[in-house]
This record gives sequence, C-alpha cells and structure tokens, in this order.
Amino acid sequence: MFACLFVPDFAVQAALLSEPGGTREGLKRSPIAVLDGPLNLLKVIALNDAARNLGIEAGMTKLQVETCGGIFLRKRSADNEVAAQAALLECASTFSPRVESTVSGTVILDLAGTEKLFGSTEKTSCKIAVRARQMGFHLRIAVAANPDAALYAAQGFKGITIVPTGCEAKQLASLRVGILPVTPEHLDVLDSWGIHNFGSFASLPSIALVERLGQEGLRLQKLAQGRVHRPLITAEPAPEFIESFEFDDPVETLESLAFILNRLLQQICSRLASHSLATNELRLRLDLEVRQLRPEIEGEQYKHDWKLPVPTQDKNMLFTLMQLDLERNTFSAPIKKVTVEAVPVRPRAAQGNLFAPPTPEAEKMEIVLARIRGVVGSADSEGVICVGSPKSIDSHKPNAFTVQSFSSASERHSLSAAVPLGALRVFRPALEASVELIGGTPHFVRLWKRHRRVLAASGPWCSSGNWWNKTTAWAREEWDVALKTFEGIEYYRIYLDRIRKQWFVEGVFN
Amino acid sequence: MRSSDALLTTLSAWSRIINRQRIKSESRSSALMSSCSLRTLIETRIPSAFATYIPPKLRTILTGISEIDSMSGGVPVSGLTEICGMGKTSVLVSLLAHASHEHYCALVDATDTLDTVAAEAAGTDFSRLLWVRCGKTKQKLRPLEQAFKVADMLLQSSGFGLIAVDLGGLAEKLIRNVPISTWFRFSRVVENQPTALVFVEQHPYATSCADLVLRLTSAPAVFSGQILTNFNFKAETIRTREKKTVQPVRDFSIKAQWA
Repeated sequence: MFACLFVPDFAVQAALLSEPGGTREGLKRSPIAVLDGPLNLLKVIALNDAARNLGIEAGMTKLQVETCGGIFLRKRSADNEVAAQAALLECASTFSPRVESTVSGTVILDLAGTEKLFGSTEKTSCKIAVRARQMGFHLRIAVAANPDAALYAAQGFKGITIVPTGCEAKQLASLRVGILPVTPEHLDVLDSWGIHNFGSFASLPSIALVERLGQEGLRLQKLAQGRVHRPLITAEPAPEFIESFEFDDPVETLESLAFILNRLLQQICSRLASHSLATNELRLRLDLEVRQLRPEIEGEQYKHDWKLPVPTQDKNMLFTLMQLDLERNTFSAPIKKVTVEAVPVRPRAAQGNLFAPPTPEAEKMEIVLARIRGVVGSADSEGVICVGSPKSIDSHKPNAFTVQSFSSASERHSLSAAVPLGALRVFRPALEASVELIGGTPHFVRLWKRHRRVLAASGPWCSSGNWWNKTTAWAREEWDVALKTFEGIEYYRIYLDRIRKQWFVEGVFN
Repeated sequence: MRSSDALLTTLSAWSRIINRQRIKSESRSSALMSSCSLRTLIETRIPSAFATYIPPKLRTILTGISEIDSMSGGVPVSGLTEICGMGKTSVLVSLLAHASHEHYCALVDATDTLDTVAAEAAGTDFSRLLWVRCGKTKQKLRPLEQAFKVADMLLQSSGFGLIAVDLGGLAEKLIRNVPISTWFRFSRVVENQPTALVFVEQHPYATSCADLVLRLTSAPAVFSGQILTNFNFKAETIRTREKKTVQPVRDFSIKAQWA
C-alpha cells in the first residue's frame, strides 16, 4: 500500500511555518494570502479557506486584496517552500524508508512492511496526521494500492481516505478530470464530450478513446481507473563524503599522517565510485594539539582546499596533491585529528580526438603544477600566483596583468591570427634610474651606475588612473629611448612616476 | 731442341695461368651468385636487414617571422633550440603566439620578464600557455636552478608542444657554470618527445647539444617622426641539424605594438 501526504495551500502553510510559534497559532485561523510576481504587480498565488470565505481568489492583485481588509499578506519565499518540503519528507521518513518527493507539498510513501511497527493502514494514517500536525502541517492523507490512486485521492478528498484494493475506480469516480495531468486541448475535448469526472472518463471505451486521443488518452483513462502501477522514485538525501580520524596520540611525522590520509582517501574514492560520482573539490582539515590556557577556546586548525579543473576518482592523484602540500608546510604542534571532505560532482565525460594535438593530461597536470609550486612558490609578494596562465586586466594601467590557474581541460578562446610584434623585456619591479632632461627631453640616463647617452627619444606619452583613490592612484610620463651602450644601441622604455617624482626603467625592447 | 723445350715450357706456363684465371673467374661468379642468393634469402626473412636508415624529417614549429622560418625551417620538434642575442624576446613572443594556436605551450620565465601586453597583442592564446614565474618567492633554489628543474618536470609530464625557457635576464657567468651534461641530458630527453625545447639566452651555451642555434643582432630602429615604429634585427643560423651549408644573415623588421 502507498500513502500520499498532500498539503493543501502549500505556499500558505510554508509561509506559516516560517513564523514564530505564537504568531503561527494565531495566524492559522486568520485569512492569509501569499503574493508573488514583480514588485509593482504582486498577485495572489495561494490562499487559505478563511481568505476564500472573504471572497478572495487566486490571481487578484495586491491592491484588490487590500481593499477587502482584515487579511494577512505574505510574500512567496522559495527558501520557505524548500524548507517546508524537507520537513514534510522528514515527517514521511519516520514512517517508511521509501519516500518519494512527488511535487512541492506532496510526498508518497510505501507502507509495505510497516504494519508490524505502526499497525493497520488506518492507524498508520492517523499517526502520520498527528505527527504532521505536530510539525505544523494540516494534511490530507490517502492510502491506496498504487501511488497515483493515492495521489488523486489525497488531492480530491479531505482528511484521511483509505481506498480499498480493487475499488480504486469506484472510489475515485467523483473526482474532477481537471486534476489529471491532462493538456488544455484534451481537457477541452473531454469537456465538449460532457466528461467532467473520473467515473465517466473511466467508463469510455478504450479503443474509441485511443482512436480520438491517442495513447495519451489511454494513459489518462488508466489513471482515472486507478490502474497505473509504477515504482516510487525515492528521495535519497545527498550523500556526504567526509572521513575523519582522531589519533590516540597526536602525530608529528608526515609518514604517520600519510598512512591515515591514504586510507581516508581510499574510503572516500571507493564511496564516490559506488555512487558513480567524482570530486573536483577536496578539503583537508587538521586539528592541532595545542595546549590551551582557556579550554573554551577551540584548538588551532590547518585547512586547505583544492579545486581541481576536472572531476576525478583517482585516489593516488588526490593523495599526491595532499602530500606535496603537507611537505611544504610545517606545523607548530602535533596533529590530533584529520578530516577529509570531498565535494561530489558528476564524473567528466570526454570524447577523445585522434587528430587533436597532444594535450597535457588534466589529472596528471595538477600533480605537476603542485610540484612546480613546490619549486618556485605559490604567489609573489603582491599575491599574484607564480604558476598559471597570464590574463590581462581590463585597465588602462600599463602592464596590468594577473595569473589564473592553468587547466588543460579549459575551453580554447577564439583568437586573432598571430602577428610578430616588438616585445619588451619587463623589469619587475621597475628599475630606478636618474634622467637628465634638456629642453624637456631625456638627454642622459643613469642606469646600473653608468651614464648612457640618449640617441633618440620618442614621447612623452602621458597616462594616469585611479585618481580618486590616493593609495592606488598612478600617473606616468613614458618615453621610448635609444641608449648608447657598449654592445651598441639598445632601446628602453623609461617613465616618470609623477606621483613619486621618480624615473624608472620599465623594460628593454628586445 | 733447346728452343722447342723452352717453347713447350712457356706454353705450359701460359696454359696454367689461363686455367688458373678461368678457375678464379668461375669461383668469383659462383661466390657472387651465392652472396646474391644469400642476400635475397635474408631479405625475404628480414626485410629491413639491408635497408639504409634515412632519418625522419624533423617536424618544426614556425616562429611566425618569415625570414627566420625560411632560413631555419622553424623550431625543431624533439630538439633543443637556442635563441640568443638582441631580439630574442620578440622572436619568443612571436613563437608563443604561433605555437599556442596548435599546441599547449609552457614558458619558464627565470626572471619574470614576459610582456603580457605584447604577447596578447601578438595573438597568444593565454588559455593554452602555462607561465612559470621563477625567483618571485624566497625558495631554496636560485632562479636558474628553479628554471632548469621546472623545465625538466614539464618535459617529463609530456603533452606540451613547446617548452620555452627564458634565461635572458640571468648573468652570463651563472649559465656558463651549467655543466655540459645538463644540456646533453635535456637534448636526450626531448629527443623522444613531440616537444620543441627552446632556450632564450644572451649567448649560446649548449654547444653540440643544440639542434638549432639562432643568433640575433639588432640594427638601428626606425623612428617615424617622434614615434618608434619598427625594430630591425639580423638573424643568423649558427647551428642546424639538417643543413650543413652556411646560411646567409637575414635582415628582418618587426613592428611596434602601436605602429
């Protein structure tokens, strides 16, 4: 047997659930309407019986409702409805492990095998109603031999309805055809035939019905007869992939930690594989054993997150990433607890291309990048990362760039054709220099403790930006100069920082 | 009588010589026949036994500068290339722009000197470029050592069509101290990989380990009025793997970004 829990006026009940306990009880018997839509055109989408008695209908505007007076108006909240649906599922889950979240405000549960726990279906239905009332819901409950019959009975009849097995068609006969999942065109056809309820629809000859409405008509008729048997699509809570281990004695060596980490990752990866999932985000938390003077203060923790470019189930790769990070760090205290969490995502489905150029393997590349970070460091003093793909910043400031993480799985950008251009060897940071000007034009540049004569100069090219912010403001006067050196003539870009009143050499054209 | 004896002796000697010659020629022809049949026999069983090894034609990646490409044929794949002298950065940027349209590229920048603006303007696909900025943090290794170690890691990882190592900003004496075995090792590793390994330096250091050495020198740039518009360079091939003939020096010009 299947029981359907149907919450009439779900949006209203969801809005009430978010109210504080005392207010909620007061509002239950009051007329309430829930509004939705653009702010300038809010319309009623749901209301309770008390509001209906006042003459309010769905579709009325806020202004029309307010003229009635004495009605409480609430704005529709998707979060409230999600929370209410979760509460309804939780209520149903206390009576059966197999629960389907059919639509908002409706759940169907399989009662097979629950008789010994909760008694007959009537008793179980009463217990469900009591439990739901405790949680703040006013339900309609129907029990039938198949989920769809239970669903339509719950939608059509108030209170608790038990549909005896084999009497579905008779029991559902009085229901309106409109509650079936019928298209407006078919509904018009049925209306023109004078078919208004389940009973008259169920009694139509099947062959003639198929000739006129097709297979869809036959399916609707079977629903009206209560003869459709389908399996429940059970709502399973999203699995969490968290593993942790608390050491009896805090560990100080990486080997001891690596042994446990390897085991935890193996468990997580095997669980991911069993759910046909992968992970692209891994979180590590290490609780350190720090002697606390005040016990109420939490101990010190080390946290690190890895965001991978492609989802993976490869335990060895994840372990290597963690190991490389832990090798780079030293901790001030021994480790007492380790927690690993993987964020589940769908595995990557990629089609290989025989004729495509060789590509660095995305999973392997992450390990290589982690190793390179171990050699060159993660980020410079300004916080720009040292290993990645360059990206220009949308700014007028010369040489403004950032570095983003490199991924061989990223989409290729559309590009213009390659054109050879003169490039600068940029000095980062720019070199301080002193410049002698004659007639406003650079004449001598003192660089690397040597005076160099300016043979030709192009400029000044003035630019400035961020003038509204003193800390980030910049203003510069650029010159491209040809300097006489021992090797011959070299071309440099120099600039005057007009805020700091200092000359710099930005780079050499090479 | 004496004269007849002498004649007989001479005739018999001649007949012996003729017989010996005939036997020799017969044995030679039979030996030739046997060697031919033996060769045929071996070739039927092992077709490549007597084949002459013709080294495969080197695949190359074009630099995008027609003068250099016509002179050297481009940067050899599975080979070590050195680009040195004035103008090396412009050639490197052009090479990255050209290569990134077809391959994943890596730039190991020992002194963090990449001009990102010029690289983007030249058409480099940044999504396919891995830029490793060495010497930006306090690490145990010096920038040169970092660059070599990173290049080695990237070579081992495979998948990159071009790995460029920019050592142009480092002091000459530092790179001179690099043992030849290091260059030799790089050339051996890259030999078996579909990757072009390019070193950008002030001077060539890899000697015979390099498959291509390009030396560039600068020529006076063009100022159009008050604006620097063109950079002129001369390119010369010092060493190639294929062409032994001395290539003439080629002049080429590269536009400035704003020209």
